[in-house]
Amino acid sequence: MSPTSFQDAPLEAPATPAGVADILVCLPSLSSEALQVSLETIAATFPGEPILVASPNVLPTIDTDQPNPNNLSTLTLIAHPADNSSSPGWVLTASDYASAAALASSYNTPTLMLLGAQPTSPAFLRALADSSRSMIDLTVPRFNIGPSDSLVNSALLYPLTRALFGADIHFPLPIDAALSPRMAQRLASSAQRLIAINQGGSLLWPAAEASVAGLSIREIDAEGTLPPSPPQVDFNTLFGSVAGSLFTDIEARASFWQRARPLPVRPLSTPFAPSIEAEIVSPDILSIIENFHIAQANLQEIWSLVLPPQSRLAFKKLSQLPPSAFSMDPALWARTVYDFCLAFHLRTLNRNHLLGAMTPLYLAWVASHLRSVADDPTRAQQSIEQTAAAFESEKSYFVSRWRWPDRFNP
Amino acid sequence: MEQQIVSALRQSLHRIVLVLVSFLPGILAFLLALVVFVLIGWGLAALLRRVLTSLRFDERLIASDTHGTTNVLSDWSSSSSPTRLAARIAFWICVLLGIAVGIIAFDASYSADSQYSIFLLPYVAHITGAILILLVGSLLARFLSRSVLIGAVNSQLHYARFLSLGIKWLVLVLAAAMALDHLHIGGAIVELAFGILFGGIVLTLALAVGLGSRDLVTRSIEKTMEKPAVVPTELTPRDGADSRPKLRHF
Repeated sequence: MSPTSFQDAPLEAPATPAGVADILVCLPSLSSEALQVSLETIAATFPGEPILVASPNVLPTIDTDQPNPNNLSTLTLIAHPADNSSSPGWVLTASDYASAAALASSYNTPTLMLLGAQPTSPAFLRALADSSRSMIDLTVPRFNIGPSDSLVNSALLYPLTRALFGADIHFPLPIDAALSPRMAQRLASSAQRLIAINQGGSLLWPAAEASVAGLSIREIDAEGTLPPSPPQVDFNTLFGSVAGSLFTDIEARASFWQRARPLPVRPLSTPFAPSIEAEIVSPDILSIIENFHIAQANLQEIWSLVLPPQSRLAFKKLSQLPPSAFSMDPALWARTVYDFCLAFHLRTLNRNHLLGAMTPLYLAWVASHLRSVADDPTRAQQSIEQTAAAFESEKSYFVSRWRWPDRFNP
Repeated sequence: MEQQIVSALRQSLHRIVLVLVSFLPGILAFLLALVVFVLIGWGLAALLRRVLTSLRFDERLIASDTHGTTNVLSDWSSSSSPTRLAARIAFWICVLLGIAVGIIAFDASYSADSQYSIFLLPYVAHITGAILILLVGSLLARFLSRSVLIGAVNSQLHYARFLSLGIKWLVLVLAAAMALDHLHIGGAIVELAFGILFGGIVLTLALAVGLGSRDLVTRSIEKTMEKPAVVPTELTPRDGADSRPKLRHF
């Protein structure tokens, strides 16, 4: 194999005839070794099936006449220009969706798969493709996370997506996804609006998009893999950008989620008490609780602009609890998130300040969650479900506040 | 002697009454012009708000905003939609017009000595400038103090409020000194007082930060020397057995 550089090649008319393959796999920028592993995994997953693989990397040329030990002869490699400058690289961004949709449209492939940089198993790839072939418009992975993994997701992204958009998708910000052509087109049109204002690196919320459009969504188990870690940037900045993006999306789709719709019936989870082990609070949790105490002492002026008196009173009581009894009611957390979302919409104060003032409250939820689950994955899952259920039951509060914000002002 | 004193007093009283009588129409004209323009401004603002709301001006502006200017504007204004901002601008333009018309009316009614109005008109401009300086200063003070407060709280600094107050008063004192200088009030005294106050606040903050955050500075130096520093929100295991962080927020 001799490498051929396609890195700076513009997106041209396809040299490969349209319709030659029914799956297009878009890869991110990878090292040559990782690219080779990915190609072999794809070839092994779909033996004998013609697959289009698009990558912004230096692509190896595959000689189809020679016997190939890795069976890569079924793959057709194409280049696609990726906007790496703005991409966070740990989740799919607007430019990722736009370029992938453009390619899928050019090559007329009915199934589009976007994969992240982390290695994926053939079983997962097969499940992703099968789901898309069975007319599911959006398929995303569900990771098996530990009690202290993906906490922003468990506290904020999953409960809000489930409560407001009725999409029971545990990871609404995917790094891997399979899209139908109509889903790809919808995402591409949303992405183009962002790219037009030079915000190609912005996050998109495909689960919300699919839900609003009435398209089908499915999540499949990505066994053994964890969601990819974001780049080493300041947590506060990252939290602000993700939460801000989600709040902006909720604001833009207000007419959808305000409409009453029946929520799917779920089995009631039994409330659980902290175990004996949970009474011994780890130093990490103590540090987070200390952060909350500092915020409670200093941020009252800002919180009073956002939170109603009963929520502030509840936080005051929470701050007076000893660390061994530190426990935030899921309903309080749900109402708090909704209050901040409303303040974001009303621009009660500068949005960066608002999200910065929300960070200590999120950390308080983290402390409460970690203390109550005590490193038990089953209890962690129960806690996440309870949080999501609280967001669903408090949705009416959010809708009321959204429609009549002045009624709740002290 | 007594009659001369009484006569002098009567004459001075008479003169004061005359001056007042000659001023009164001018003052009344000024007040009337101001009240009328305030009412016009109020009505215009209400009309503008109603029309823009019915036209969904805010939504259209946000939808057509390709450069993010709406966000910038609303980030700096206290509460705000573009409609409300436009209504407020219309109201205050009317108020300023009323003041200008009032002064001209004052000048016309008190023609005996036009030096007063010649003196007053530029001074009103100076007052307006000073008010603008104070307004911008107070907005900037609030923005910066909140930024510092939230940043300090998220960095787990116990004296976050103190830092924030220091920044707030620093900017307010600067704005007040600039406003007084703009009005030509105080002269060197203001400059001296400002220098002392500003220097005092900076020294206090420097001492507070220097004495209170030695650990933070040490950590910062360690970080620059490429030693691993503990990030409070991404907690890593201490035993080093597992390379994965204990807490993963994302």
